[in-house]
Amino acid sequence: MSVSQVGPRNTIGDVPLEWYKDEEHIGYDVAGKKIKKKERLDKLDSFLARTDDANSWRKIIDDIEDEEVELTKEETKLIRRMLKGKAPHADFDPHAPYVDWFAWDGAKHPLSNAPEPKRRFIPSKWEAKKVVKYIRAIRKGLIKFDKPKEEPRFYNLWGDEHDKSGHGLSYIPAPKPKLPGHDESYNPSLEYIPTQEEISAYQLMFEEDQPKFIPKRFASLRSVPAYEKSVRESFDRCLDLYLCPRARKKRINIDPESLKPKLPSRKDLKPYPTTCYLEYKGHKGPVASICTDPSGQHIASGSHDGTVRIWEVETGRCIKIWELGEPVQHVAWNPLPELPILAVSMGQDVLVLNTGLEKEENKKIEDLLRVETLSVPDESGCAGSSVSWSQYDKYEGIRIKHFKTVSSVEWHRKGDYFSSVMPADILLFFGSYFSVLIHLLSKKITQRLPYKLHGLPVCSTFHPTRSIFFVATKKNVRVYDLLKKKSMKKLEAGVREISSISIHPGGDNVIVGSKDGKLCWFDMDLSSKPYKILNSHPKDITNVAFHRSYPLFASSSDDCTAYVFHGMVYSDLNQNPLIVPLEILHGHTSVNGRGVLDCKFHPRQPWLFTAGADSVIKLFCH
Amino acid sequence: MDIDGYVEDTSRKVQVRFVTKLKPPFKAPTTSIALPSNLTRMGLSAVVNNLLESGNDDWKHEPFDFLIDGEFVRMSLEDFLLAKGISAEKTLEIEYIRAVAPRKEEDPSLHDDWVSAVDGSSRFILTGCYDGLGRVWEAAGVCTHVLEGHNDAITSVGIVKSIDNEDTNLVVATGSKDKTVKLWKLYAEPHAENLKIGAYRTLRGHTASVQSVAAQPNAIMVCSGSWDCRINLWQTKSSEEDTVSTKKRKKGSKEEETQSEGEAVSTLVGHTQCVSSVVWPENGTIYSASWDHSIRRWDVETGKDTLNMFCGKVINCIDVGGESSALIAGGGSDPILRIWDPRKPGTLAPSFQFSSHTSWITACKWHGRSWFHLLSSSYDGKVMLWDLRTAWPLAILDSHEDKVLCADWWNGDSVVSGGADSKLKISSEICIP
Repeated sequence: MSVSQVGPRNTIGDVPLEWYKDEEHIGYDVAGKKIKKKERLDKLDSFLARTDDANSWRKIIDDIEDEEVELTKEETKLIRRMLKGKAPHADFDPHAPYVDWFAWDGAKHPLSNAPEPKRRFIPSKWEAKKVVKYIRAIRKGLIKFDKPKEEPRFYNLWGDEHDKSGHGLSYIPAPKPKLPGHDESYNPSLEYIPTQEEISAYQLMFEEDQPKFIPKRFASLRSVPAYEKSVRESFDRCLDLYLCPRARKKRINIDPESLKPKLPSRKDLKPYPTTCYLEYKGHKGPVASICTDPSGQHIASGSHDGTVRIWEVETGRCIKIWELGEPVQHVAWNPLPELPILAVSMGQDVLVLNTGLEKEENKKIEDLLRVETLSVPDESGCAGSSVSWSQYDKYEGIRIKHFKTVSSVEWHRKGDYFSSVMPADILLFFGSYFSVLIHLLSKKITQRLPYKLHGLPVCSTFHPTRSIFFVATKKNVRVYDLLKKKSMKKLEAGVREISSISIHPGGDNVIVGSKDGKLCWFDMDLSSKPYKILNSHPKDITNVAFHRSYPLFASSSDDCTAYVFHGMVYSDLNQNPLIVPLEILHGHTSVNGRGVLDCKFHPRQPWLFTAGADSVIKLFCH
Repeated sequence: MDIDGYVEDTSRKVQVRFVTKLKPPFKAPTTSIALPSNLTRMGLSAVVNNLLESGNDDWKHEPFDFLIDGEFVRMSLEDFLLAKGISAEKTLEIEYIRAVAPRKEEDPSLHDDWVSAVDGSSRFILTGCYDGLGRVWEAAGVCTHVLEGHNDAITSVGIVKSIDNEDTNLVVATGSKDKTVKLWKLYAEPHAENLKIGAYRTLRGHTASVQSVAAQPNAIMVCSGSWDCRINLWQTKSSEEDTVSTKKRKKGSKEEETQSEGEAVSTLVGHTQCVSSVVWPENGTIYSASWDHSIRRWDVETGKDTLNMFCGKVINCIDVGGESSALIAGGGSDPILRIWDPRKPGTLAPSFQFSSHTSWITACKWHGRSWFHLLSSSYDGKVMLWDLRTAWPLAILDSHEDKVLCADWWNGDSVVSGGADSKLKISSEICIP
C-alpha cells in the first residue's frame, strides 16, 4: 500500500493537483493511461460511513492516488511523536553517549613539510610602493587628514571678539560702539527730530557738549547723502593709531577709601571746641592779637583801633581799656600768675603795662615797672643805642623804644625775659643782628642775639621748659641754645612765607603756619623736615596755637575760619604723633580781606578764642 | 456725601471733663463737654475761662495749664492723644492748674553796673553789682540799703541768717573779686532809702577772686568758692566781735562799726580749677561745682569729698533741691540744664536734660516749696521756668536786653533776675501749686 512498498501508481509527479481539478482523471499510470477519478461519497454518506466505522478516523484520502488509505497503528504513533516534536522513530535515543570516532593521536607529520618561505622575512616591495604612493599624495595635498574648518557664513558684527586675544601681542579690544537707535534711522519718527530752537541751542553749546548726531528725516534711503564726516573720522582714526602708545599701561584697581589713613573717630577725641557761645565785643577795629592770663580768668586783646582791653572770660565783660593811640600788633600776658602785667607791641614801641588786677602785690609790680631816668647804654653791645627804656607817661608801665616796627613780643616762662622781633624790610648793617632782641625786665636791659640771623625774622618764641629759643624767619625756623649760645638746629619748612610758630608743651614738636595756608608739624627728634604738612586753609594762616594740657592745636586763617586738630604726642619715641582734623570753626566775617587774626586756647579748658578782623573776639567751647 | 465726611473729619470731637484741685473761684463745673480735638493749650484755656465766666460774672481771664494723666499738654489735643495712645472714645479727664507764668512785670530796678548776683531767699532782694556795691531792695525800685566796702565787683551774695528770729534784720554775706568775703548786718528801718552800711566782718584768705558764697543753714559758718580752686569755711562771728557790734550799733548813724577780720576755719581742697558755685543745703554737707568739670559733695566734719561727679562740662551754677532735696541741678558752658540724681547708683548720667536755652547757663534755682519747679537763666537773655514733668519750659521770661547773670525765686511767687543790662527784673504773681 505504501509508496515504499509499491511506488506511486500516478505518474504526474510533483505538480499541483489543481491542474487536474476540472478533469475527469487525476493523472496517468505507468502505461500512460488515464487514471479515472473515483466517485466520491457525498457528505452525508461519508458521515454515515464514518459513524458506522470505528476506524474511520484512521482513514485519510490520498489525493494523488485518489484512494482511501487506512493508517496503521505504527503510522499513527509515528505521527503523534512528530506532533510532539520528538524523533519519529521510537527507538531513536537523542541522549545517547557520544562516541569520538576520530583517531587524534595517530598524526605524526604536518600536513606540509615545506620550509618557512623567505618572503615572510623581507618587507614587501608592493607594500613599500603603496606607502610611497600615499606619501606623494599627502605631499601633493591630495590626501587631507583634518577636516577643513567650517567657516561661518556670516560675520557677527556685534558679537564679542574673544578669540583675538591669543595671538602673541596683547589685544586691546576697541571700545564698543553704541548700537544705533531709532533716531539714527534715515526716517525717524517725528519726536526724534529736534526743533529749530533746539538746533540753534546746540550751536551755543561748547563743542564737547554738542550732540554728535542730529536726527534728520529723508523721504527715501536713496536720498540719504554721503556721510559728511567720513574723511574727518578716518583721519582721526589714523591719528589715533599713529599716536597710540604701544606700551600697555596696567591699571591698578584700588579702593580709594583703603588709602585713607585709619584715624580715630572724632567722637572719641572729645572734648574740643565746637560752638561759639560768648562774644567779646567792644573793639572798634580789627583785633590783632589776644592772650589769656595764666589762670584763664581774663583775656587781653590788642586791636588796630589803638586800644588794649582786658575781658573777663566768664561773662564777656570788658574790665580795662588802655587807649594807646597807635595800632597794637601783639599782646602777651606774663606767664607768672602773681605778676599780671602785659607786654604790648605797638608801632616802634614795646610797652609793659600793669593790669592792676593784683591789688595786694601792686606795690611790688609798681617797683618792677619803674625805670630810672634814661638807662645808660650797657655792655650788651650797641643795643642800648637802638633801644631805649623809659617810663610810659600815659599809663603805668614801661616803654621800650625800638628803631623799627615791632611785630611780636613773647615772654619767657619765668616771666622776666621777653623777646621782641622787628621784621625789618631792608637788612641794615646791623639789621640781621638786631632784628631779634631779648629784654630783661628786672634789670631793664636789652640784649641782641649773639649770632647773625640769616633771613628775615617773623616771630620768636621760647621753649616751654628748656633754655632754647626759636626764631622763625620767612623760610625756616632756627633753634638756638641760649646757654651754650649757639645755633642748634634749622627746621626747613619749605613753604612760601612763615607767619606763625607754636611749640608743643612737651617741647619736642613745633607747628608752623605759613602764608600759603600750609601748616607744618615738625618733630624735632625726627628730622629737620616737616613730619606732616596740612594743606588746609585756602588763605594765609595768621596764627597757630597748641593747647597747654589737652592734645589740641588750632590754626586761624584769613579765610575767616579756625581749624581745630587733635595732635597727640606720645612719650614712646617710636610712635609718631597722631594728627586728626577735628572741627572747622566758622563765625567771623571778612573785613578788608582779613579774616581771623589770632587764635589762642584757654589755658585750662578745651576752649578756643579767636580774634577777628570784624573786631569781635569769639570763644568756642566744647 | 463726600463733603459731609470731610467736614466731620476736621471737627472731630472729644468728650472732655475738666477737673482741678484749685479752690472754688477756679472751680469749673465738672460736666463733660465735647470739644474739637484740634484745640491747643490756648483753646483749652479759653474754654475753661468761659466756663468760669458763665458761673461768675466778674471773672478775669486767667491762663491755665493742662495735665492729662500727669503730663502737660503742649500740643493739640488730637496730637497728644495720638502720641500717648489714649483712646478718644471715652470721656477724657483733663486736670487744669493755673499756668506757671508771671502775670505781672514789675518796673526794673536800675543799677549802676551789671548785676552779678541776686538772692531772694528772704523778705528783701539782695543784689551784687559790678560796681562793688551790694544793694538791698524791699520791692521793685525801692532800694533800702547799700552795702559799701568791696573794692571790686561783687560776684555772689547770700543770706546767712536773720537776727532775732524775725525776717527783718539779717546777716548777709557777699563774695567779691577783691578776694574777700564780707559779712553785713541789715536792720530793717522804715522809709530807709540807700542807707549805706559797712561790713562788720571781712574774711580774707583767698588768693584769687571769690566766685560764690553760701551759708550753713544753722548760720555758724559760711563757705566760699574761689578762683584759687579752694573752698574756704569761715566762722560767721567771733566771740568778742559779736558783743561789740550789738553794743555799738546805733540807728541811722554813719558811725563806723568795728570791723573784724576773719581767717578761714578750714579749707576744702580737691578741685583743680575755679570753684564756680557752692551750695550748703544741710548743716553737714556742701555741694560745689567747678570749672574742672566736676561736682563734689563735701562732708564738713571730715573735709573730704564724699561724691565726685564728673560732668564733662564747665559747671557755672548748681542748686540742690527737688524731690527730698536730693536732686542736683547744674548748668554751665553749654545750653543744657542738667539734673542729676546722686542717689541713683552706678550712673553719672543726668536724669533730666533741658535744652531750650541757646547759650551758657548762669544760674539755676529750685523753687523753695515745689519738688518740680526750677528756673534757669542764660547768656541768651532769657530766664526759663521748668517743670520736671515736661521737657518744654513752662514760661520764658525774655525781659532782659543782654545776658542774664543771675536769677532767683523771691517770696515763692516771683522771679528776680539781674543781667548785663544793669537791671534787676522782677516777674511776679507766678502761681506755683
